[in-house]
Amino acid sequence: MSPDLKARNEAPRTNTNSLRQFNDQLGSWTDRFVRRTGANRGAGRMVVALLLAISLFSALNPRVFLSPINLQNIAVAAPEIGIIAIGMMVVMLTGGIDLSLVAIANFSAITISTLHTAIATNDPDLANNLAIVIVLAGIAVGMIGGAINGFLVSVVGITPILATLATMQIYNGIAIVWTGGTTLYGAPAMLGAIGQAAAANVPVLFIIFLAVAALVAVLINRTALGRMIQLEGANPVAAQYSAIPRRAVLMKTYIVGGMLAGLAGALFLARNPTASADYGSSYVLLVIVIAVLGGTKPAGGFASVAGVVLATLTLQVVSSGFTAIRLSSYEYAIAQGVILIAVMILDSVSSTRTKRPKKVKSQPASEAPSTEPAIH
Amino acid sequence: MAALQKLRGSNNEGVLALVLLALIVAMSIANPTFFTLNTGFSILRSAIVPVIFALGVLIVVITGGIDVSFAAIAIFAGYATVSFCLTSGYDPGLLGIFAIAIGVGAALGLINGIVIARFNLPTLIVTLGTQGIFFGAMYTYVGASYYAELPGSMAALATTNLLDVTTTSGRAYLHVLVVPVLILCVLVAWMLKRTMFGRSLYAMGGDLEAARRAGFQVKRNQVSVYVLVGALASIAGVIHIVLSRSANPRDLVGTELDIIAAVVLGGASIFGGRGSVIGTVLGVLLVQVIKNSLLLVGVPSAWLRTAVGLLLVVGVGIQAIAARRDSRRMRVIEDLDTVPKDEQKVGL
Repeated sequence: MSPDLKARNEAPRTNTNSLRQFNDQLGSWTDRFVRRTGANRGAGRMVVALLLAISLFSALNPRVFLSPINLQNIAVAAPEIGIIAIGMMVVMLTGGIDLSLVAIANFSAITISTLHTAIATNDPDLANNLAIVIVLAGIAVGMIGGAINGFLVSVVGITPILATLATMQIYNGIAIVWTGGTTLYGAPAMLGAIGQAAAANVPVLFIIFLAVAALVAVLINRTALGRMIQLEGANPVAAQYSAIPRRAVLMKTYIVGGMLAGLAGALFLARNPTASADYGSSYVLLVIVIAVLGGTKPAGGFASVAGVVLATLTLQVVSSGFTAIRLSSYEYAIAQGVILIAVMILDSVSSTRTKRPKKVKSQPASEAPSTEPAIH
Repeated sequence: MAALQKLRGSNNEGVLALVLLALIVAMSIANPTFFTLNTGFSILRSAIVPVIFALGVLIVVITGGIDVSFAAIAIFAGYATVSFCLTSGYDPGLLGIFAIAIGVGAALGLINGIVIARFNLPTLIVTLGTQGIFFGAMYTYVGASYYAELPGSMAALATTNLLDVTTTSGRAYLHVLVVPVLILCVLVAWMLKRTMFGRSLYAMGGDLEAARRAGFQVKRNQVSVYVLVGALASIAGVIHIVLSRSANPRDLVGTELDIIAAVVLGGASIFGGRGSVIGTVLGVLLVQVIKNSLLLVGVPSAWLRTAVGLLLVVGVGIQAIAARRDSRRMRVIEDLDTVPKDEQKVGL
C-alpha cells in the first residue's frame, strides 16, 4: 500500500519539477526578450494589460468602443491625469509621495483663468497675445507649490506623506477662498485651440502628453539629477555616503512634480475652460494607483515612465470600456481597486519566488518552514 | 523637572492640551458666546464620529501602517445595515443594528488584513484599492438611494440626550452617544496599554522583524488590527447615520485624510510605535474647536481647510525638528542610554 502510494506521489512531483523548469526557462526567455527591447517589467506588464483591455472591450462592444469618437475621447482624457501621474512617479522614485499634486494643478488652472479674465476685461487682444505668459505663470505657480513641498520635506524634514497632506489642505483651502467655492469661467483662446486641435487625427493634447513623458524619461534615465533621484530612493544611506546633495535633490524632485502638476492644470483648461477648487478630487488617489500600476515601487528607487503612460491608457480604456458595455462608474471603481491589488499580489508572489526558488525542494517535510521565510 | 516631564506626556499630550486650553481661553476672550455650554456640547457632538474613526486610525498607525479605507467601510456597514432593515421591514433593535454593522465592518476589515498580512504589501496601496472596491460595491450591490427615514430604534436614539440644560443662552443638549465613545476610548486605551495584544502593536510598529523574533504572532496580529479597525469604523458609520438622521451613501468618504491629520497632530508617529489615545482625542478636539471658533471670530469657513493644513505643518514640523535634534543627541550618548528612554516613550 505505502510504496504504491509513494510511487504515485513521486510521479506528479517529477512532473511538477519539469514544469517548474519549463516555467523558469520561459521566465528567463521573456526576461531576456523584455530587456533587449529596452522596456522593463512595469512597462512590459502594462503592454499586456492594455492589449487585454482593448481586445476585451472591442470584443464586447466593438461598435461603441472602437468608434473614432470614443478613441479620441480616451486620447483627450488621458493626458491631464497621466501627467499628474508622471509627477507622482517622479516623487515616488525618491521614496516619497505627493498628495498635493491635484490641488496644485487646480491652483494653476485657477491662476491662469483669473489672470486671463483680469486682463481680458480691459483688453481682450492683449490677453490673447499674452496667453503664453499666462500659461507660464500657471506653471510657475505649480513650481512654487512644489518648492514649498520640497522645503518642508528636505529642509524641515517632515515625512513626505504628511507634508503633502498638509500642503494639499492649504493649497486647496486657499483655492476655495480665492474662488469663493464657485467655478471660474474663461481661459486663453490658445488653450482652447490646443484642446480642440488634432494632428493626423491624434489630439494635440495626447502628443503633448507623450512629449512630456519622453522629456521626463530623459530626465530620469540620462541626466545626473535623474540618477541621483533614483539612488536617493533606492538607498538613502548609500546616497548620503556618495555625497549626493540630499536636500537639493529632494527639492528639485518636488519642484519637478509641482511643475508637471502646473502643466496638468493648464491642460484642465484646454479641455474645458472652467476652473474650480474641487475639480478632480478623485484624482488624488487615482494617480497613486496609476503610478503603482505602472511599475513604480512605492518604497522608491524604481519607476518607469513608459509603464506609467501605459497604465494611464489602460485605466482610461477600462473606464471608457465600462461605459461602452454600460457598467457604472462605481463598477469601474471596483475594477480599479481589483486591478491594483491583483497587480500588487502578482508582484509580491513573483518576487518572493525568484528570491528563494529551490527552498521548497530541500524541505519537503512540512509546510511551516517554507512559509516562514516569507515573513519579513 | 521630572514632574514637568510627566505633565508634558510621552507624546507631547501636555503641550497639545495646553494649546487647546490657550485656544479656548483666547476664543472666550475674543467672543464671549464661545464660552457657553451650547458651544461645548455642540463641539463634543461633532467630535463623536471623528473620535471613533481616529481610534481606529491610531491603532493602525501604531503598527506602522496607514488605512484610508475606513471611511468606505464605515458608510458601507452603516448604510447596508439601514438598507437591510428598511427593505426587510424588520427592526432588530439598537444592539441588533450595531451587531450587524460590526459584523459587516469586521468582514471588510478582514479582507484588508488578509491581503496585507498574507502578501506583505504596502498598507497605503492596499487600502487605497479596497477603498475603491468597498465604495463601488456599496453603490453597485447595496444601493445608492438616500434614506430620509431610519428604522424606529435608530430614529429614537437620534433624539435622545444625556443632559438637557437650560442656560441663559438657550437650551444645551449633550447627546447620549458621547457615552459609548468614552467607553470605546477607555477600552482602546486599556487594550493598548495593558494587554499583550496592545503591547505587540507597539512592538510591531517599532520594528516588525524584531517583534516577530520576539515571538509575537505578527501576521495574526496584523489581521486582527484591520478587523478591529473595520469594526470601529462600522460603529462610527452607524453613529454618523443616527446623528445625521438620514442614510446618505455619499457621506464620510473623502474625510479620511482629515482624520489621519488629527491623529498625527495627536502625537502618533506615522512610522509606527508611538501614539496614545489621550493625544488622539486631544488632536480631534483641537481640530473641532478650530472649526467651531473660526466661524465665531468671523473668519469665513472657507479658510478651514487652510487652517487645518497650517496646523498640521506646524505640529508635524516641530515634531520633525525635535526628532532630528534628538537623533543628533543620541549619537553622542552611549547606546545603552537609549534603551530605557525608548521604553518610556511607548507609554500612554
